[in-house]
Parts: sequence; C-alpha cells; structure tokens
Amino acid sequence: MFKDITIGQYYPADSLLHKLDPRVKFIGTLIYIVSLFIFHTWGYVLGTVFLIAVIRLSKVPFGFMVRGLKAIWILLIFTMILNLFLTQGTIVWQFGILHITREGISTAAKMAIRLVYLIIGCSIMTLTTTPNKLTDAMEALFRPLKKVHVPVHEIAMMMSIALRFIPILMEETDKIKKAQMARGADFESGNVIQRVRAMVPILVPLFVSAFRRANDLALAMEARCYHGGEGRTQMRPLVYQARDYAAYMILFCYLAAAMLMRVLLHW
Amino acid sequence: MSIRLEHVTYTYSPGTAYEMHALKDVSLELPDGHFIGIIGHTGSGKSTLIQHLNGLMQPTSGHVYFNNEDIWGDKYDRRKLRFHVGLVFQYPEYQLFETDVITDVCFGPKNQGLSPEECRRRAEEALAQVGVDESLYGKSPFELSGGQKRRVAIAGVLAMNPDVLVLDEPTAGLDPMGRDEILDKVASLQKQRGITVVLVSHSMEDVAEYVDQLIVMNHGEKAYDAPPREVFAHYKELEKMGLAAPQMTYIMHALKDRGLDVDVHATTIGEAEESILHALGRK
Amino acid sequence: MSIIKADKVNYDYLEYGDDGETAEVTHAVKDVSLNIQPGQFIAILGHNGSGKSTLAKHMNALLVPTGGTMWVDKMDTHEDDEVWDIRQRAGMVFQNPDNQIVSSVVEEDVGFGPENLGVPTDEIWKRVDDSLQKTGMIAYRKHSPNKLSGGQKQRVAIAGVMAMKPKCIIMDEPTAMLDPNGRKEVIQAVRDLNRSEGVTVILITHYMEEVVFADNVFVMDEGRLVMQGTPREIFSHVDELHALRLDVPHVTQLAHALRKRGLDIPEGILSIDEFVDAIMKIYHRQQSEAAEAGTGAEEK
Repeated sequence: MFKDITIGQYYPADSLLHKLDPRVKFIGTLIYIVSLFIFHTWGYVLGTVFLIAVIRLSKVPFGFMVRGLKAIWILLIFTMILNLFLTQGTIVWQFGILHITREGISTAAKMAIRLVYLIIGCSIMTLTTTPNKLTDAMEALFRPLKKVHVPVHEIAMMMSIALRFIPILMEETDKIKKAQMARGADFESGNVIQRVRAMVPILVPLFVSAFRRANDLALAMEARCYHGGEGRTQMRPLVYQARDYAAYMILFCYLAAAMLMRVLLHW
Repeated sequence: MSIRLEHVTYTYSPGTAYEMHALKDVSLELPDGHFIGIIGHTGSGKSTLIQHLNGLMQPTSGHVYFNNEDIWGDKYDRRKLRFHVGLVFQYPEYQLFETDVITDVCFGPKNQGLSPEECRRRAEEALAQVGVDESLYGKSPFELSGGQKRRVAIAGVLAMNPDVLVLDEPTAGLDPMGRDEILDKVASLQKQRGITVVLVSHSMEDVAEYVDQLIVMNHGEKAYDAPPREVFAHYKELEKMGLAAPQMTYIMHALKDRGLDVDVHATTIGEAEESILHALGRK
Repeated sequence: MSIIKADKVNYDYLEYGDDGETAEVTHAVKDVSLNIQPGQFIAILGHNGSGKSTLAKHMNALLVPTGGTMWVDKMDTHEDDEVWDIRQRAGMVFQNPDNQIVSSVVEEDVGFGPENLGVPTDEIWKRVDDSLQKTGMIAYRKHSPNKLSGGQKQRVAIAGVMAMKPKCIIMDEPTAMLDPNGRKEVIQAVRDLNRSEGVTVILITHYMEEVVFADNVFVMDEGRLVMQGTPREIFSHVDELHALRLDVPHVTQLAHALRKRGLDIPEGILSIDEFVDAIMKIYHRQQSEAAEAGTGAEEK
C-alpha cells in the first residue's frame, strides 16, 4: 500500500508540460509565485488565465490538482475568517461585535486566491516532473553556488536517495508498529504524553534501521566507484530544446505583463 | 486454546484498481498443543494469514475464533488476545529498541500489566529457554550478533507466556547451525510448555522434520491441510505451485522408479536411511 | 596469472568498551593466502562470524589488510590511487537487495556505476541495455525497484555491476535474504554470466546447494582458511564440516549416513542422480551376487 505513495505524486502523461526541461518548470513556478504577490486586483485575472492554460497543457485531470488543497483547507478557512473579521476599514456588514469591512473582503479573497493558486502551481510542477528530474534541475540551477562552497551535488544526491527510501521506510514503520503491537503495545489510548512515549518502540528501531541502511548503501556506492560529483557523467543530461526557449520567452512576457499591470495600472 | 478460521477472506484495497485478494475463503483449525507448519510461495497469503491469527488484520469477510470466541465480536479485547497468541515476525531483531536486553524482553510482560519482579522473572525464563546467557542481559541489544539478537527478539514474545506461538520464517538469514539451534529450541519449547506452535517456512526439510500438521497456501487459498507425509506425496502438484518437496521425497521416488522397493513417503534423512537399508535387505 | 591473490592477509580491528578507553582486538582474518584464477566460479563457505565477509571486502579494497597483501588484478589494495581501478575490476553485490539500489528507476540504477566512471552518455545506455538483457531484467527497465521481488532486485544489482565491465564479481551472501525461487534466479543468472562472459565469480555463502556448481571451494573458520578443494572433495568431509558449523546437502548427508551403516557408497556425492546411481549399483551387484550364489548352490 505504502509503496504507491510518493511525495508530490507524479502523474505520468504525454503532454507538452511533461516534456519541458525541469529547470524551465522550476523557474516557471517561482515566477508564478512571485507574480501572485505582485498582482493587486484585476491582475489576478491574468494569473487565473495563465494557470488554466497551464493546467490544460499538462493533461493532468483537475481532480489531482486539487488534492493538495485537501491538506490545507482548514488553514484556508481559518485565514479567510481572520482577515474577514479583523481587518479595519469601511464596514459593510455588522452583527453585534462582529463586523466585516470592504477591505476585509478583498484581503480575505486575495489571501485565499494566493494560497490556492500557490498550491496548484506547485502541484503542477510535481505532477509533471519526476522527483529525479527535479533534483537534476536543482543540481543544475544551483551549480554556481559551488563557488561559494555549497555542496550542491551532494545535496542533490541526498535528496534523490531520500526519495528512493521514503517508501521503504514507510513500509518498515508499518512492520515495526505491527511487531510492537504483537507484544501488546498500545498506540491508541492515553493522553498526549503517553502517546508520544508509546512512539519510542517504533522510532528507535526505525532510526537504527535507517542508519544501517545508510551505512550499507554507502559501502555499495563506494563499491560502484562513487567518489562525489567530480568526473561524473550523466545518463540524462539536461539539454534545452527549442520549446524550452519558447517557454522561457512566454514566462518572461508574463512576468513583464504582471509588473506593468501593477506599476502602470495598479491592477 | 485453539484457533479456528471460518471462510476468511481478505482483500487489499477493495473496490479500487489495486484490489488484491490475499485470502480467499480460508477455513482451518489449529488444534491445541500441535506443531503446525504453513508453507506457500511468495504472495500465497502466508503473511496475511498469520496476521489474522492475533487480530492484527481483520477479515474482509468470515470469522476468526479463539477458544470459540469471535475475536472481532463486540467488546473483544484484541490487545489481550496478543498476549495469548504470540507472533514473531520475520527478522524480529529489527524490533529491538531498549537500552539493554533484559528491559527489551520485559516489554511484553510490562504491557500485560505484570509487576516488575514478575516481568523480570518471565524475561529471564524466556531468555534461558532460547539459550541467551546471563552475561548478555545488561548489554545493549545492538551490540549482539545477528543470531543472538534474533533469540532475544523471540524471547521478547515468549516472555508473555502465550498459549500459541506463531513464527514467521524464524531461520531466515541464519547459517546452518543457527537454523538447527533455533528450530531445536522451538521444538523443545513446544514439548516443555505444551503450547501450540505455528511455523511458517520456506524450507521443506525443516517442516518435514518438525511439524505434525502441514497447511499449504496457494494464491490465497488453502491447498492442503494434512500431516507432512500426506502432503509431500503430492509433490508434483506442489511443484506446479512453485514449491518443492524435501530432497528425500525426490530421492525415494527416483529409487522406486528404478526398481528399489522403498517407502516413497519417507521425508527425513532418518526415515530414508532406514527405508533404503530395509529395501536392500541390510536391516 | 591470478585475478585475486591473497598473501598472508590479516585483518584486525579494535572495539572500544563503553568507557571509550579499553580496546578489544578482534582478529577477523588470520593469515589467509589464496589464489583465484580468471574465469573461475569460486565459493567461499563459512558460518556466520567466520570472517568470510570480511575477507570478501578486501577483494575490492573496501577494507585494507592490517597485515599481508591483497592483490586484485596485480594491483595492491594498499595503494590509495589504485582504489577506483580496483573497484572497477572487482565489482560487488551485497546481501540486502534494497540497501544497494541507489535510484528509484531500474535503468537509472544500472547506469549509476558507469556514471561514476565518467563513461560518455551514449556508451552508458549501451551498457545499461546490455547488462539488463544479460540478467533478464530488460522488461523491468522503467520500473521502480520497490515493486520487484528480492530475486529481481539482486539481478538489477548484478546488472549494475556488470555495466561497469568488471573482471570479477564478488557476491557477499547475495541469497541470504531471498526465498528459494529468488535464490535459484540469482545463482542461475550468475552462473550464466560466468559461462557466457567469462567473468570470475566469487560467491560467499552458507547455502550448501549453491556450492556444488563451483570450480573451487574455500572454507573459512575463525578467520582462517581451513579447507580448500573441489566441491566433491570438500563434501567428502561431512563430519569436519559439521564441526565447522556447516552442513552438506541432504543427499550427501544421507549417503554419508548409509556409508556409516556399511554401504559401499563413494564419498562426496553431490546430486540426487549420483546418489540414485550409486544405490542402484549396489542393489544390482547384490542381485547378481545372490544369483551367482544361487546358481552355485544349484550346481553343487
């Protein structure tokens, strides 16, 4: 069961978006997030149009997009209510001590849109890009940081190994939990403190196991001549195609339009 | 203290694209005090089956009875059940977590609500029964060798004094002597305490040597449920299921085919030895 | 010209007590000397703790002898700058199938080794395709390793090593965590590679059935090399092996037991066919002796 869960689940399909270089998607998502904070009012229309276009291009069913929202809907409602009732300004509705202002409505709406679009935007990236491609993209994009002694390659390697082992460790957690339950461990009852203490028989073996695996894996990697990033070639080197350059152009225009709208039109 | 399964079916992810029938209409009885073996190819449902014995998994349909009580009935305390039906998973040494051996073995009795003195007494008894020396009691479980860790883990379940002991491939990964030692200890335990032992194994030889009842699982269904000699007589069908019979079975059948009047039902070295000598008139 | 040559190899390590001060010396490998010829299929037998895994790790310079020398394809493992060449010549497959797979896609994991060697991209793909073909895993190339069986994972690991074009593969108890079918799969894959590619195979194991296919067997106990020979020679010493905490295949045990009871069966029976032939020979000899005695009596 746990074997099928991956972080930011990848949805395989044959779309333009899937074929784009992962660096384009990574930068594109950043640009989109920035634009969400640039927009003031009507600018969000441009943001919405862009999002819908990208969703269509990805060929991923809408249902998958909104999955990520399930996790944060409580936060969403909470933020909206806070903004709705606590923002000062021109009152449009009142009931006793509760009041809603025009500014409150607009702030709540903006917050909600930003949050929702942000999540959907990030989802599109992870739905159309495999975790390995994402780490490849980040390794390539952050390479300049090597000059300031940031271990970019090592971090990227750690991330992709972590991704590989997440399903394994999840399965192992399940096994350990069952083994302790077989000895009468109780994970259901008790107050918060008791329940946290009850986790020890799961966490300790899990940590020990993770370290053991790391040790074994290190030996195996060394046996296969791994010696860091120097001198390594790649099976799938990232090379820009024409469509990637076109995508960069579109993104650039989008960002420019967003800035113009804000600065010139206050949208 | 018997366990009974009636028409147990277990389906993973029912109604989805990942639907998988792990157990299909399995009915069986594990009578008191017997030594029972369960064999089956990987994916035959063995692991799922044994997790039903102590209530870790709930049947999608069907019933599980312990001492004639439905363990999924209203208000049945399944946590208590697990003190009576002890389950030792594969590679049990991966569940060790305490700072020293004796404390880890006390985990089960502690969960049973016993006094510290009683916990200690049970732990020491269990450790002695699996052959772990007193000198190791104060050591961290992580300092021990693989074989010692395994025994400590088994002691952890034994310390609960279960009426039924279920062992999932207790010899996995051990060397030949390690395998013999563990199985001998389990067999003597079974005789001494008179408990029911259920052994899940891949080794036909081990199973032939120790068990008096053998259950064969095949793609979620129970294919055979009989004493080992009877089951291994179907060695051709077993092969089709991806299993084998003990080497002895093949040897005896080969000899019989070549004209020697041996007992084809011999499954252990001892039995084969006697039968061949007898057939050669050397007894 | 040996591909692996051990010359009085010793390996000692220190274990510190809880106080961090007192050290206990463990002599894991003691004065081991051996020679392995290219193209052979070698088995190293020993109970858990006999030092066989420790010795194996010297063969690809994961460990360096504290005494004596280990030569891999004429390179001394003491030399730091030879280490990567040594590990390319002598690949290793480990016991835990999961803990040696680095990538979440089969073909990418097979390419990990060549990537580390700096092999150009096109050549990497050629090697990946080739290795996956030779281990029978080409159909699974785009799969996630998590969905594979233990035997399949080990075959992926073997493919990953083969993609580095080694001269020999060291397999450190590769079947210990597998079910019987998985074990068969892996041993078959490795025997095929040994025969078709000529790659030297060094199999560390305690499963006796796997040893019968070897050209030469080394037996270890307490860090020392205690027996050497062909499988037949080794399995002739049933009682000694038993004393070394090892076992022999059941058919060999049966032959040994019957020999002790007076039957004239040759030593070192390795297979069911050999055994059945030997018994039937005795039987037929008995029959004809009885017949002769009968006719003799009649003649009288």
